[in-house]
Amino acid sequence: MAVVTDPVISTVKLSKVYRSGIGMRLVSALVDVTFDVGRGEIFGFLGPNGAGKTSLIKILIGLARPTAGNALVFGRQARDAQVKARVGFLPESPYFYEYLTATEFLRLSAGLAGVPGSEVAGRVNSLLKLVRMEASAGVQMRGFSRGMLQRIGIAQALVGDPELVILDEPMGGLDPVGRKEFRDIIVGLRDQGKTVFFSTHILADVEMICDRVGIIINGRMVNIGGLGDILSDDVQAYEVTVTGLTGKFRKVLERVGDSAIRSGDALLVTVPDDAGVDRVMAIVREAGARVQAIVPRKRTLEDHFMAHVGGKRGA
Amino acid sequence: MTGRVASIALNTFREAIRDKVFLTLLVFAILVMGSARVIQPLALGEESKVIQDLGLSAITLFCVLIAVLIGGRLVYKEVEKRTIYIMLARPVRRWEFILGKYAGLMAVLAASLVVMTVGFYLVMFITGTPASAYLLWSLLMTFFELAILTATAILFSTFVTPIASSVFTFAVYFVGHLTRDLRLLAAMSPSPVVKVVSQVLYYVLPNLSNFNIRGEVVHDVVLNPEALALAIGYALLYTATLLLISTLIFSRKDF
Ligand SMILES: Nc1ncnc2c1ncn2[C@@H]1O[C@H](COP(=O)(O)OP(=O)(O)OP(=O)(O)O)[C@@H](O)[C@H]1O
Ligand SMILES: [Mg+2]
Repeated sequence: MAVVTDPVISTVKLSKVYRSGIGMRLVSALVDVTFDVGRGEIFGFLGPNGAGKTSLIKILIGLARPTAGNALVFGRQARDAQVKARVGFLPESPYFYEYLTATEFLRLSAGLAGVPGSEVAGRVNSLLKLVRMEASAGVQMRGFSRGMLQRIGIAQALVGDPELVILDEPMGGLDPVGRKEFRDIIVGLRDQGKTVFFSTHILADVEMICDRVGIIINGRMVNIGGLGDILSDDVQAYEVTVTGLTGKFRKVLERVGDSAIRSGDALLVTVPDDAGVDRVMAIVREAGARVQAIVPRKRTLEDHFMAHVGGKRGA
Repeated sequence: MTGRVASIALNTFREAIRDKVFLTLLVFAILVMGSARVIQPLALGEESKVIQDLGLSAITLFCVLIAVLIGGRLVYKEVEKRTIYIMLARPVRRWEFILGKYAGLMAVLAASLVVMTVGFYLVMFITGTPASAYLLWSLLMTFFELAILTATAILFSTFVTPIASSVFTFAVYFVGHLTRDLRLLAAMSPSPVVKVVSQVLYYVLPNLSNFNIRGEVVHDVVLNPEALALAIGYALLYTATLLLISTLIFSRKDF
């Protein structure tokens, strides 16, 4: 794991236990979570439903206190008002004051974030433009769709020109175009030197833009690092495409691989490792067939994710 | 600091004046005062006193309703709708949030008082009732009574549901007007339990009967300025205490 210099977020053995339900049953939402996020990083926080993402973010925002451990943002306690002035936050499935228009709401947000009065109007207008909501600027938010609320949510998170942006499932409710626009916004923020921390359970979002990811499952940070680091230590599979097979050898090959798919004359065999490839090659030579391609299949983040989730759930 | 409290207060004010409950109450209040015209012929001799008393009572009642109904869900609604997240993620201290909410609702009540008072004087003008400015003293005292009541509603609103909060605040309002009887009860009851309970209630609950000077202003009785000043001081102190307790409760909360 790379050492982060100049961390913007730094947590040490963070734990959160909720008491809920009728017998006040204890739920461990976070277990000893320790990690750092460096300045200027885009950090993807990845985990399935109920993994503890929102619980951790609430602590980073100072909305909730950890049961144990410590969370520092800019080297100070997360609840500190001076810290909050430097952080922009988008909550999960945001809901805003429905009786306000988008413009009124962003003005309110700017006021609370301490934006000087003379800059408020300009800031609000440029943000409405950034999230493509100019057309609905004067409409009360009670009629807004989920995606529209999400867009306004992103605008309000940025209104105080924060150094750190923390977003809880920012892509929720966005259509494909919206997701693309949003990724551009995030990359734009990094280019301005800002730090972005966002949670998601959609792997594609993370793969495209994150410098580092943390994977949280059942309240534990099971993996953290650059995408390359996380993926490269995984077992790879090979896909071998063979042509010119006769019936008998085709049957043999189909049994050698983990899976085999016929496509016209060709057979695509998937084997788990080098030894598997060797076995396939031996049979191919014996059969007098030809190998058309050998493609090493790197595990995708999705496979990685599924392996962890599957393992934990099975346990 | 003041900027943030003002922003939250303005937002609360906007919420109320765009709220159906509030608008309904306001319209209803004006209708009730208008109905004084209908009652007028029934009241023989003392009709002007009746209209004055009815008007002042109606204004007080409707403002109490606004304070209790809107105040009761003021904080709870933000938690329930999760708008509290974006508020408290800002550099807003918890006491600023409580104070802003409180100030916003007090501004709503002040505006309602003004609107209803104008309506009231209009009714008196139309019915030819003598409309003395002396009546305004009663409305001023109503405002301070509302200050206590709104703070009570906010206090409840930090930890119980809106309906429970409204019911409790109403209870405080009614018993608050009976505190003298509570003391009497404490003195006369043979049961030690009743004695202690009524004694405690007497000291804990606000003494709201001090703020009711409708009888005096309607019948042109000379007011005691010291008693009024004392009542106002009492209202400020009581309100500050309630807001402080609300902040303490609210600060300990996780969301
Ligand atoms: N206020 C609460 N009271 C009791 N339990 C809670 C509370 N908030 C969260 N939990 C529990 O903590 C665990 C983690 O929840 P959390 O909301 O942090 O997950 P998440 O990763 O954000 O999930 P999702 O992707 O669905 O948003 C869950 O088991 C949840 O039931
Ligand atoms: Mg969540």
